[in-house]
Amino acid sequence: MSELLDHLMQEASVWQGRRAASQHLSVEATGHPELDHSLGDSGWPRGALSECLLAHEGIGELQLALPLMRRVTERGQMVFWVNPPHTPYAPELNRQGVGLDQVVVVRTEDDGDLLWTLENCLRSPVTGLVMAWPGRLTARAIRRLQLAAEAGDNVCLLFRAEKEAMQSSPAALRLKASPVSDTALHLDILKRRGGWPGQSCAIRLGDRTGLPEATAAESVVAGPWQGAGA
Amino acid sequence: MLWLYVHFPHLLLDHLRAHRSDDAPLVVAGSNGALVEQACPQAQAQGITPGMRLKTAISLAPELVPVEPDPEQADRVLEQQARWLYRYAARITLYPPDGLLAEASSLERLYGSAAAFWRSVAQALDERRLTYQIALGKTPLAARLCARQGTGERTTSEPHLNALVAALPLHALELDATTEKRLQRLGLSTLREVQQLPPAEVARRLTPETLAHIQRLQGERPDPQTPWEPPHLFREQVDFVREVEQSQGLLFPLQRILEELETDLRWRQEDTDTLSLMLRHPNQPPTRLRIRTAGPEHRAGAFLELIRLRLDQQPLSAPVRSLVLVVRRFLSRQAGTPTDLLGDGEDRAEAWQTLVSRLQARLGDQALHRLSPQADHRPERAWAATGMRSGTTTDRLVSPPRPLWLLRQPRPLSHAPTDWFSGPERISGGWWDGERVLRDYYIARLDTGQLAWVFRDVRDGWFIHGWYG
Repeated sequence: MSELLDHLMQEASVWQGRRAASQHLSVEATGHPELDHSLGDSGWPRGALSECLLAHEGIGELQLALPLMRRVTERGQMVFWVNPPHTPYAPELNRQGVGLDQVVVVRTEDDGDLLWTLENCLRSPVTGLVMAWPGRLTARAIRRLQLAAEAGDNVCLLFRAEKEAMQSSPAALRLKASPVSDTALHLDILKRRGGWPGQSCAIRLGDRTGLPEATAAESVVAGPWQGAGA
Repeated sequence: MLWLYVHFPHLLLDHLRAHRSDDAPLVVAGSNGALVEQACPQAQAQGITPGMRLKTAISLAPELVPVEPDPEQADRVLEQQARWLYRYAARITLYPPDGLLAEASSLERLYGSAAAFWRSVAQALDERRLTYQIALGKTPLAARLCARQGTGERTTSEPHLNALVAALPLHALELDATTEKRLQRLGLSTLREVQQLPPAEVARRLTPETLAHIQRLQGERPDPQTPWEPPHLFREQVDFVREVEQSQGLLFPLQRILEELETDLRWRQEDTDTLSLMLRHPNQPPTRLRIRTAGPEHRAGAFLELIRLRLDQQPLSAPVRSLVLVVRRFLSRQAGTPTDLLGDGEDRAEAWQTLVSRLQARLGDQALHRLSPQADHRPERAWAATGMRSGTTTDRLVSPPRPLWLLRQPRPLSHAPTDWFSGPERISGGWWDGERVLRDYYIARLDTGQLAWVFRDVRDGWFIHGWYG
């Protein structure tokens, strides 16, 4: 059997989808080796939409984009946060090495403004990364966004609710993020342009809390708060 | 001394014409509708002349647009002309409502000759499609009278200029009516004949003022001129003959004004970052718009783009009768500091300013902000939203590990967390400004898998203050 396979490979009579994938897509490494590997040694697609679907904030989703944010701001390009659900905390971004001069937070009032803003940001040569929390979008709006993303050469990362996974999307990459532990995030690749979906991986979120990993739990001073709250 | 005088036979009509896209004939006619006071060339081509009854004029040209005379507006338009003429001449005097006087002899070295100065001014007037009559004269009054009479010639030879003045008919001398009549009765018809009378006779037979007038005309009596000072602001107004109802209709005249502004800024070697646009409506208070750019700017195209976005966002509330564009803030232009060989940095900075200006024009100034860390122990005070123009804060404050998301308002913790990771970290402060904070912070994981930054405050309540995103 393997002889037959070797023969076919040498003759180059079999199309090898895996290799073709990374050739024509312009990509930007995610900075997480596990994720890059699962994506066929590529990364975030440039000039296309990427979606990250998650149930709640606070599971480490920003860690996903942090290496890219660091890299983009070092290059002097801008990072746009459009309609973030909470306040991006400046001291921590600063501590993580993200250049705050290159970070801009934009808030829009309606979908029309949001699409327009994303289009303008994505088209500008000063932009490096656009992150957006668009809420519910119609299929038409996503299509328009995809076209806007294609006009520029930037990474556009949309954070959307988990239930949107059922809706079809023209995004080039769709990831579903789910929490595993405090130091890891599980990612399912739902869709990947030029490649097969279905892979999954876990990325390490080493310094998310800034604590040495071994200190968890033991360092907490036990007290009356156990079971408090509820 | 040589003086150059520019007379505008119908400046107001030229001004209105510049902002109209059609070619309808225009006339200035009094409010009681009696007589035509000024007629534009299009109207004159149809046989309309000043002094004609308006009714006659309308029957000659049914599409005629009559304009009511407005002295205030005429003065303003004249001042607009003085502003650009100031680029050509330093000493200008305004002769409202329709004349500008410029001192020419001190410019001879700059232009080569007074005739070359004349040519430059005439060219600028042609570019602005103004109707004008120019004259040079040895005295301000001589230049003025020749220009009004339309007999100015591009010459600097003294005998020739004297001859031009001497040939002026009596009615062009701006004498009072009784003097003019008395001179006529003497059988005189031109200035030359008046000049031949002995001065003492003139003073005796006529009035001393008449003699003074003639002496000023001949340069035998000083005639001081007060030079005009250009204001340090740019102000341009467009008056619409018919009210404009669509914002699209404002863009056409705005483009011309903005080009004028660009030229003005180029001459000043300055930039601006704030334009004030006022739209006047017939029965409503005016709409005031402030258009701000992200950085110093002078290009008309960039301004127009921002105004277009702004008008798209904010439809006109009422028809517009006139618009005024004022620029008060001028920033001296700084030499570019190219950071690399290909000047890429420059382009980037410009692209950045264009993007921010566009976003702010549509979303409002408040919609965009930057983040900067602040030196404060209270988490909600340890960051600040700063404007897009503010200088960059590059100081790296050393801060302890914190979550990436901060909630705008601490949220009560409803379920007991499943795991505890670290804590307590006590944060206490704010006793100095009345916003006292006394909290113990913990890192905990909720049953949803979220890693939260929770605290218990002094009143024993549990709250979520951030997410480890």
